[in-house]
Amino acid sequence: MSEIVYFDHAATTPVRPEVRDAMSPFLSSEAYGNPSSGHRAGREAQAALDRARSRIADALGCAAGHVIFTSGGTEADNLAVLGTALRAHLEGRAFRAIVARTEHKAILDAAGAVERLGGEAVLLDVDRTGQIAMDAYRDALARGAAVASVMWVNNETGVTHDVVGLAELARDAGVPFHTDAVQAVGKVPSDLGGTAIALASISGHKLGAPKGIGALIMRVPDLIEPLIHGGGQQGGVRPGTENVAGAVGLGEAVALAVAERPAAMERVRDLKHLLAAELTAAVPGLEITDAADGAPHILHVTIPEIDGSALLTHLDQAGIACSTGSACASGRVGPSHVLVAMGTANDWNGSALRLSLAPTTTRADVDALLRRMPDVIDRVRVLTAALRGET
Amino acid sequence: MSKGRVLVAMSGGVDSSVAAAMLVEQGYDVIGATMRLFCYGETVPDRPCCSVDSITDAASVAANLGVPHYVLDLEDRFKREVIDDFVAEYARGRTPIPCVRCNTFTKFRDLLAHARALECEFVATGHYARTVDGRIFRGVDRGKDQTYFLWGIDRSVVEHMLTPIGTLTKPETRDYARGLGLVTADKPESVEICFVPDGDYAAVLEQHLEPDDPALTAGPIRTETGTVIGSHDGYARYTVGQRRRLPGGSPEPLYVLRIVPEERAVVVGGEAELFGNQVTLEEVNWLVPPLQVGDQCDIQIRYRARPVPAQVTDRAATGRLHLELLEPAKAITPGQSGAVYRDDQLLGGGVIC
Repeated sequence: MSEIVYFDHAATTPVRPEVRDAMSPFLSSEAYGNPSSGHRAGREAQAALDRARSRIADALGCAAGHVIFTSGGTEADNLAVLGTALRAHLEGRAFRAIVARTEHKAILDAAGAVERLGGEAVLLDVDRTGQIAMDAYRDALARGAAVASVMWVNNETGVTHDVVGLAELARDAGVPFHTDAVQAVGKVPSDLGGTAIALASISGHKLGAPKGIGALIMRVPDLIEPLIHGGGQQGGVRPGTENVAGAVGLGEAVALAVAERPAAMERVRDLKHLLAAELTAAVPGLEITDAADGAPHILHVTIPEIDGSALLTHLDQAGIACSTGSACASGRVGPSHVLVAMGTANDWNGSALRLSLAPTTTRADVDALLRRMPDVIDRVRVLTAALRGET
Repeated sequence: MSKGRVLVAMSGGVDSSVAAAMLVEQGYDVIGATMRLFCYGETVPDRPCCSVDSITDAASVAANLGVPHYVLDLEDRFKREVIDDFVAEYARGRTPIPCVRCNTFTKFRDLLAHARALECEFVATGHYARTVDGRIFRGVDRGKDQTYFLWGIDRSVVEHMLTPIGTLTKPETRDYARGLGLVTADKPESVEICFVPDGDYAAVLEQHLEPDDPALTAGPIRTETGTVIGSHDGYARYTVGQRRRLPGGSPEPLYVLRIVPEERAVVVGGEAELFGNQVTLEEVNWLVPPLQVGDQCDIQIRYRARPVPAQVTDRAATGRLHLELLEPAKAITPGQSGAVYRDDQLLGGGVIC
C-alpha cells in the first residue's frame, strides 16, 4: 500500500520532537517526583508544572493560576458545562446550560447530563453558515444560566464563532461564558487577555503534544463544582497527582504553536485554498462547506450521491487519512449532527469529508492528495450508482 | 507472493473470524469488512451477531491479523431485498428464509460489487460449506453445514467464493480461534435471524405491516373438511408443521397443514396428513447445468432436514421445477427452500410453492 497522506490533523497530530524532548526527563529516572511531595524530587516536579502553567498562560493571555490540567479536551469541556451547572444548582442559581447544536459531543453530552440530573439544556440553533441565532442566544442569556458555551472553531467544518463578542453578551447578562478552544489554539488568534471569556478548553494532541493531556483555563474563580474528588491538587477543582510529563509537553506545544501561528497558519491557509480550488475543479458536485473560510486548517467539503462507507474504505485503501461525515458506532456514515443542525443535510445521499492540515503539511502532501482523491471519488461514485440501482 | 486479494465478510462471530485468519495464513491478501445491514438502534438489544459490539470484535480480530477492516453500509438494499421480502412472504401465508436472499443478493452480489471495486478477486465468508473449482459441497461438519442457504447464488460467482472453514468442524474452528487468541473464540452461537430480536418474528411483522393487515388479524382454524375448531390472531403467526397456538381437546395432536390467506384460514390435521411427496420449486437457480426430467437427485426441504431422494418430473416453462420424492417428507412448507443435491454437491434449488 502506498504511503499515507495524512490530512486528519484535526483528529490528532504526531507528537512534535521538541515536545518529546521537553517531556523526556519526566518519563525517566531523571525527574519522577510527585509535585505534592515536600522533598527535592517533588519540588522539581512542582517547578516543572509551574513552568508549564506559565508558558500556557503567556501564550493564551491568562494567569498561570488559571490553568487547570485535565486528561484532555473532553474532561475540560465536562468540567466547564457540568461542573458549572452543578455548582449553580448547589447554590440555588439557574441549573441550566446554554450550548450550540454544533458543539463537540463532549459539550452536547455534558449538557445532556445536566438535563438528566434535573437541569435544563438550552440548545441554540444555527443557520446554514453554522452561526448561532443571536436572538435565541440573547433570550437564553436573559433567562439566566450556569454557563453559555460556544466553540471557538468548529472541529468538523472549521466555522469560527465570534466568541469574544458572544462572551461580552454573556458577561453583561451575568452568565459565565465558556469556549471549547481545542481547534483554535495555534490556529486562529486566541488571546484571552481582555476578553470576557471565563472558561476555555484546550487539548494537547491536536497541537503536537501527546494524547491524555489538556487543560481548562479558568479565569473566574469558584465557578466549578469538581467532578472528581481527591487529594486537593489544583485547588480541588481537578484533584489527582498531576500528569507532569503531559503538562510539560502541553506547555511546550502550546507555546510553540502560538508563537509560530502567524507565519505557519498563513502558509496552511494558502495550502488549504489551493486544495479547495483544485478539488472543486477535479470533482464535479463537490461543495466547500465553510463559505466564510473560518479556520485555516480545516477544509470541509460535501460530495453528493456517494456512499460514505465505501468512500471511507476506498480512501483508506488509497492511503488517504481524513475524516468522512460522522460514522456512528455501527458504521453508518450519515450526516453529522453538525450538518443536520446547519440544515445542509436534507435528503442526504452523499458524504462529507474533512481534510485538516497542520504546519507540517507540505505542497507535496497536497499534490499527493490531489493525485489520488479524484480517482477514489470517481470509483466510489460508480460503485454507489451500481449499488443504488433498482433491482 | 499473494494468492490473490479477498474481501472477507466478518460478522464479528467466531466462524468468519477464523475464515479471515485461515486466509491470511494461506497467503491471501485479506481485507475484512463488516456489513451493516439494519439499524442498530437502541431498541434492539445486544445480539451475538449483529450488534455494535460485533463490529468492534470484527475490527479487533482484523487488527490482530494485521489486515484492514471496514464497515460497509448495505442497509438500504438489505431492507428492500431481504426484510421487505420476509414481511411480504409472511403476509402471503408463507414461511420465508431471509438468509437465502441475504446470501444471494447481499453477500454474493452487493458485497461482491464492493469486492470488485476494491480489486478483490474473491469474497470469503464463514459458511460451513466447501467451494472447489466453482462447485459447492457440504461442509465437513454435517451438523453445521450451511449449503442449504446458498442455492440462490449466481453460478458465475461460485469460483470467486472462498469458504475456508468448510473443512473444519465447529470445535476445530473454536480451537483455531483460541490458538490465535481471537476475542471471538468463545462467543455464543447465533442461531436466530439477525434482524429478528429474540426470535420474535411476529414483532418484526407488526412493525412493518398495518395493524389491520389480514396476516395479523383473526381468522378461523379449520380442518381439511371445513370444520372450524377455533380462531387465531393472524395466520402469519403460524407455519406448516406447527403445534403451538392450536386449540386442544382433539383426540390426536393437531398440526398446521397449510395456510389459506384468501380465507385467512389456518388448516389443521393429524401428523399423518403432514407428509407429502410432491414438491414444486419457483425462483429456481442452478449451480450446475440444469437437471432434466427424469434426473435423480436429493432434495432438502428445511435447514437441518434429512435430504430425501427425488426425481424431476416436470420443468415448466414458467421456470418452476416439479419433483417427486421417492419417500414422503414431513411439513413441506411454502416459502422454505428446496435445495437440490447430488451426494455432497449442491446443484441448485428454489423456493417451495
